[in-house]
Amino acid sequence: MTRLQTLEGFYQNHIQPYYQNAHNAERDGKPIAYVASTFPVEILQAMDITPIWPENYASVCAARQVSVRLAEIAERRGYSRDLCSYARTTIGSILTTEKDILPEGGMPKPTFLVASTAACDTHLKWFQVLSHHLKRPLYLLDSPYNITGADAENLEPHYIQQYMSQLEELITFLEKQTNTKLDKNRLRKIIELSDRTSNLWLEIQDYRRTIPAPMGARDAFSAVFFMLCIPATQTAVNFYEKLRDEVKERAKNGIGKIQNERYRLIWDNLPMWFNLKFFNYLNNLGAVTVAETFSHVWTGSLDPSKPLESLAKKYLPNFANCSVERRINLILNLAKDFHANGIILPTNWGCRMMSIGETIVKEVLYEKLGVPSLILNVDSSDWRNYNEAQVKNQIETFIETLNA
Amino acid sequence: MQILQSFKNLLHRKHIIAKTWKNQNKRPVVGWNSTYTPEEIISAINALPIRILGSMDTTTTLADAYLPRNACSFARSTFDHALKGDYNYLDGFVTSNSCDNFGKTYDLWRHYTQIPYFHFINTPHTNTPKSSEFLYYELIRFKESLEKHFKTTITNKTLQTAIKTYNENRTFLKQVYNLRRKDPPLLSGVEALEIVLSSMLTTKQAHNKLLKQLLSEVTTRPDPPKPGVRLLITGSIMDTPDLLNITETVGGIAVTDDLCTGTRYFWNLVEANKDPLEAIAKRYINKIPSPFMHDSHRERFNHIKQLIKDYDVEAVIIFLLKFCDTHMFDAPLLTEELKAEGIPVLNIEYEHTRSGIAPIKTRIEAFIEMVKGVP
Repeated sequence: MTRLQTLEGFYQNHIQPYYQNAHNAERDGKPIAYVASTFPVEILQAMDITPIWPENYASVCAARQVSVRLAEIAERRGYSRDLCSYARTTIGSILTTEKDILPEGGMPKPTFLVASTAACDTHLKWFQVLSHHLKRPLYLLDSPYNITGADAENLEPHYIQQYMSQLEELITFLEKQTNTKLDKNRLRKIIELSDRTSNLWLEIQDYRRTIPAPMGARDAFSAVFFMLCIPATQTAVNFYEKLRDEVKERAKNGIGKIQNERYRLIWDNLPMWFNLKFFNYLNNLGAVTVAETFSHVWTGSLDPSKPLESLAKKYLPNFANCSVERRINLILNLAKDFHANGIILPTNWGCRMMSIGETIVKEVLYEKLGVPSLILNVDSSDWRNYNEAQVKNQIETFIETLNA
Repeated sequence: MQILQSFKNLLHRKHIIAKTWKNQNKRPVVGWNSTYTPEEIISAINALPIRILGSMDTTTTLADAYLPRNACSFARSTFDHALKGDYNYLDGFVTSNSCDNFGKTYDLWRHYTQIPYFHFINTPHTNTPKSSEFLYYELIRFKESLEKHFKTTITNKTLQTAIKTYNENRTFLKQVYNLRRKDPPLLSGVEALEIVLSSMLTTKQAHNKLLKQLLSEVTTRPDPPKPGVRLLITGSIMDTPDLLNITETVGGIAVTDDLCTGTRYFWNLVEANKDPLEAIAKRYINKIPSPFMHDSHRERFNHIKQLIKDYDVEAVIIFLLKFCDTHMFDAPLLTEELKAEGIPVLNIEYEHTRSGIAPIKTRIEAFIEMVKGVP
């Protein structure tokens, strides 16, 4: 049960420098944007705007065990304890006066904020609150809800059109904010780079189909950082090439995440960032996570000759922005392709989008594949909404049923 | 006053009334749950659009099997009624982007009820000319979808007629609200809420008749409400009068509101336009926004502040349904702004059950006492 070599020191080697660079950008007066996930970050990267992801920062705070302390600061200002814990953690991080408790010196102050509705309405409200307290403008990319759950090729044309026309508007906003023009050639290069990152990442994922699986969730939830935060960079490509080589090698030589692989699980949605050791516990039970929906939501092929259209096609079909059918299909395909025999559906306390509908996912998957699911009540970064004894009890009972 | 009983009846006997209407008229009944649903278009096919409402006096044992604990209990209550068969008479269900709870429970309604027609209107989150155009296109598709499913045609003329009737209803409701500017107001908050809710449960023609009668009789009503601390009510959807009942028994009187079952439902008219669908699209994009709209807090807070002036409001209560994210994100900012203007504010988080609201009474009572004590 070793970590992949490529991932040794991942936090020190990649996360810390990322925040350090962002602080340097702030010091040098370079533009910084707060970005919400499912936002087409490629456009920012094409304009040399440093993206900061409050979601990533919240997960860092959770891993460093300070998220609850920060969430409590937001709660004292009136933000309900039932709201998204990412939101509470980051609101707390900008309101707190105890700056020394903030990992990596906190998030640098942004020049502006950008969000999209393609994951949830919480993003829009949360970023509105951040924008209010930081006194910085917010651009909202209003993404039509993909109600039929169509994939990239079958999207409603007027959804694509609406999305693309806003990308044009966004570019105007960014040009005004940064006083620079978007270089179309550079955008094409960035799109190409992002496409490459995405393909490499999918290639890495594909090796996890091998029995035993060469990589587990703990490594995936770290490594996905590039996909989520800075996909269109040479660093991302270099890192994923190295990771791909290692995973490929392990797959070829039959080296699994664990030696006696007895259960292959799919993990939906988010992990408990404050307790990534949880995956070691699963490993000790003979279970390995072979795929996460979180590892697949940021992927999508991009065509450099049609940058804006391919961004629409990448981001509109992400399963958070779709009716439940798309989520079912994603998990169904993962379960089939990765030879899974169990599915974990964590219900994130502050997240309506991912929590409501899990029963449908569970029922349909069992009906169609005979693969059972376990719904777990947890939280991504607020451990007050997590009862470890209870969760472990549920897991152990679930694993027993997989035996039967 | 007898006429007030008619509104109450519409609310309390809503299922029987809808079923009777359906049998008598042999026309469809279509349920909706977001104030961004353009009822005018449903009404143009001679269908009865009714708002899906929950209740606080039943348990939600059936819905609990499908909804997680962290889902909005209003959504839970309505879905439970559907599973119990209370909405079996519906011929259709229409919703729109209003919040994550509604968007996601739409999946549950589609999967676990037998309603024959479903439609989702992709309401934008921004108020721009482009989003208005987008909604216009969505409404054309909605119209076509209704025509196809219910085998009928919607003409500009039928739409114009529907718009006229709806505008008339909105205008009457505003007049009814004006009666509450007086001190004491001519209608209690409970009565006003029953009037607005009932407008969503019968045809607007029928409701307009009742409103006309109310407006002519109410000025001489022999039993006006008792005076009290004048309150503005805001927050999550309020689909039953229970909370206002409590409030008005402990010395408060709700004189106006910023609710999607109150002013936000009827405040804005559809403006005259050659193209009725375009006019409808504009009305829904430009209306006093719900908090799921981008930057809506500015406009909504201004609406609230205007109402505070116009209705001589002394204090504000924000009733927040648990897990009602969009309102919960707005509440601290609203509280801060109102307090800065010297207006006392009470935030109440509650569950959509009667047992959930019982403990609230003491808090409201203490708040009212505090407001009275302010010199």
